Amino acid sequence: MGSGISDAFDMNAGDSIGELPGKPVEVSSNPAEWLKKNLFANIANTLLTVVGGIATVLVLRGVLNFVFSEERRWDAVRTNLRALMTLAYPESQYARIWVSVAVLVTLVGLSSGLWANWGTIRVQRLCRWGMSLGGFIILCILLREPSVLLDSNGIVLRDSFSEPVRESFSSAMMSRSTWWIVGISFGGSGLAGWYRLDSTGRTKTVSATSTVLVPLGVLVVSLWVAPYGHYAYSDGLFIAEPGERVALSTSIPWTWLYLLLLATMVLGRFVRNSDLAGIAKTLVNVSWVISPFVLYWVILRDPDFDYAHVVSTDLPMGLLFGFLGSIILWWLTRSTGETARIFAVCLVGIAGFNWVAAAFGWYPMLQKARISFLLLAVAALLAPNFVGELAKRKKLVTYWLTTMLLVHYMATTINSPSTVDISSSEFLGGLSITLFVAALTIMFSFPLGVLLALGRTSKFPIFRVLSTGYIEIIRGVPLITILIFFSVMVPLFLPRGMELAELAAAITGYTLFSAAYLAENVRGGLQSVRNGQFEAADALGLTSVQRTGFIVLPQALRVSIPPLVGQVIATYKETSLLAIIGIFDFLRVANSAIPSQTAFLGVKREGLLVVSAIYFIFAFTTSKYSQRLERRLGVGER
Amino acid sequence: MSVNDATTAVSEELAKRKDMIVCVGVDKWYGDFQALKGVSATIKEGEVAVVCGPSGSGKSTWIRCINRLEVHQNGTIIVDGVELTNDLRNIEKIRSEVGMVFQQFNLFPHLTVLDNVTLAPIWVRKKPRVEAEALAKALLERVGIPEQADKFPGQLSGGQQQRVAIARSLAMEPRVMLFDEPTSALDPEMIKEVLDVMRELAESGMTMIVVTHEMGFAREVADRIIFMEGGEIVEVGTPEHFFVSPTEDRTKLFLSQIL
Repeated sequence: MGSGISDAFDMNAGDSIGELPGKPVEVSSNPAEWLKKNLFANIANTLLTVVGGIATVLVLRGVLNFVFSEERRWDAVRTNLRALMTLAYPESQYARIWVSVAVLVTLVGLSSGLWANWGTIRVQRLCRWGMSLGGFIILCILLREPSVLLDSNGIVLRDSFSEPVRESFSSAMMSRSTWWIVGISFGGSGLAGWYRLDSTGRTKTVSATSTVLVPLGVLVVSLWVAPYGHYAYSDGLFIAEPGERVALSTSIPWTWLYLLLLATMVLGRFVRNSDLAGIAKTLVNVSWVISPFVLYWVILRDPDFDYAHVVSTDLPMGLLFGFLGSIILWWLTRSTGETARIFAVCLVGIAGFNWVAAAFGWYPMLQKARISFLLLAVAALLAPNFVGELAKRKKLVTYWLTTMLLVHYMATTINSPSTVDISSSEFLGGLSITLFVAALTIMFSFPLGVLLALGRTSKFPIFRVLSTGYIEIIRGVPLITILIFFSVMVPLFLPRGMELAELAAAITGYTLFSAAYLAENVRGGLQSVRNGQFEAADALGLTSVQRTGFIVLPQALRVSIPPLVGQVIATYKETSLLAIIGIFDFLRVANSAIPSQTAFLGVKREGLLVVSAIYFIFAFTTSKYSQRLERRLGVGER
Repeated sequence: MSVNDATTAVSEELAKRKDMIVCVGVDKWYGDFQALKGVSATIKEGEVAVVCGPSGSGKSTWIRCINRLEVHQNGTIIVDGVELTNDLRNIEKIRSEVGMVFQQFNLFPHLTVLDNVTLAPIWVRKKPRVEAEALAKALLERVGIPEQADKFPGQLSGGQQQRVAIARSLAMEPRVMLFDEPTSALDPEMIKEVLDVMRELAESGMTMIVVTHEMGFAREVADRIIFMEGGEIVEVGTPEHFFVSPTEDRTKLFLSQIL
């Protein structure tokens, strides 16, 4: 069944690229011709089509009979939707979850408004989709075997060979009237559209945004009208009311989220055409980077600040680093210079010493101070690039102050205890923890991977040896080993007083693992950058850092998009190993939390099927997005 | 070795000018193969020197040594009074004074034409963006393609790309321009548009060293022609001397093959 679907996608792959004025539009032939040309062109082709078709039908039939079997306990999934998403997050605090989702929706809306060039889709293509979907649904209705008959006690009726007795084919078809309506309306509207519209009408386009927003809107409206049933597990009480509408606590937030998405998209579009576009883009980018931290540690965890400590220590320390650092950076950028470089090297030394000292417990110092020294060293290294007019110097100082503010605020929130009643060591679970770990892992491993790749291709032997050694060692060790090492072994080596939370240990392990693989992908990209590019950059007098940042890396990363996305998807799926070190991730909720509930003892398959479907949807979306990205970035290609 | 003393062949007017590039006994080996054998030459300020010779004669290697894309092993290269040594600062200084145009253009494919031209002025010369863009637009106007500023290099023809490459080098306001076979990768109908730009540049008084096989251009524009073969400078002279009455047998052979 996979091959049929991917064919349908490939067939349309070129459609969304912009059309040239004056170029005659190629209208594809009618479906019958298409079938003949692509599926039954010659004997061998026909044979393959028939064999492939039979295999597809058999597999589809098996899947349908499994999914729609009377034995399936889908209410286990419906009841536990909340557990699958967030596990045992306290119900009284659930507004926090909705706020977090709203923040993400806002960012998605703003980003798509500000950047995305959604383009258009031809009506012809929509008609084709409608026909395919309708045909597929009807095929499914026909393939699904008739339901078994139950007696008055709900026991399956069996014949003399103890095979279950099934209803007749015609009554089975009759009982699927809803599905018939759905299938025929999709297929019919597609077919009607195809034949009603002449060839010019079919090449008309609609905005691609609407093809996403309209179905989403229909889905949201259906929450208010369709009888999906009300299922919940609340205070140990199992609620199952089939035929009811979903609870208001579901429909109201989703409606608001949908409206928020629309509003932020419009806002993004609006800002895009104004003078504020540049600032808005920077703001949204920064928000994406800090959102996982803010969502997890500030909104969901709700830190319980010790204000006496904040006033006496945290605030003065943040201000001290902010202002002293600003003065130093201002001074370093006054003229081109060696001073900045020498100073930066000294700071790197101090920062490095601080970390070594921490390992031996020599200078008790807040971790924040160590991090701040390190960041100041980095800023000092960057300072020579900001020498010049006032505006540039101010920019560096602003960056520095903002960074210090954020870092000290985040450190304080992370160090403060949580007000959310935590039942286990981690208060979140399910899909949310999976996404959180995946997001942070990708965010951290990406720069590390790029650095490792640069190190491995560097002229300096020490970088080369260290990077190569690191990459080869990590690639030679299974991920599970690394995860267990970080959750069990590392805490034993840490000096007394230093702790590594389970989640932090897991993210560290994933990051170090994933970085090694990303590094190899980026290295492939680096090797594809032609020598002439290096020479041109050198001939213009760019420094090696500028050459790498402006010329080499952008080209290398573009080439490595497909393997990088592959690695991102792999990382996202590998988060299911969190279960092994005792974190209740998405998979573990379905695999062990739900089957241990008294109402659904041992009910596993349904949950696992849904979990795999959701994993697939995320991975597939990512992969589709990367294809768009590749096509868009292909603009400047030779 | 009298021919290696380049100044002998310079016109009196040129000889009075300041030395821009001085090479003395430059040697360069690739493994066991000696690509440059004691190359000595002096290029004056504002001079247009055309370097020609059969392929593999070390022409490109020599001019690539002048901005340190290749490292010479013996001898001295002095550019505008600064000697090329391993000191990184000298190299960066010389590179920002010496523009180079490549056979394969080597534009940055991921940046627009305008960004290609403004990148180095902004980050190496520390020019404000507005100023750099104004300069870039003026230079694109000068090379005749102001309307292509927002396109990507891949969308331009070879001749247009090479002109962007020239504008990119000029944007650094260099004192010397090196051309490494700038027209060899171009289709015949595009060669003229690039040569026109170079001719205009020569007339504006830029110091240029041009490695090329375009003998028409050499005859018309060059102050001096430097003929190289087998890694050495065989003959140096004015175009009249070179094309009309060359003294060396190897030069005569070369000319008989290409003319």
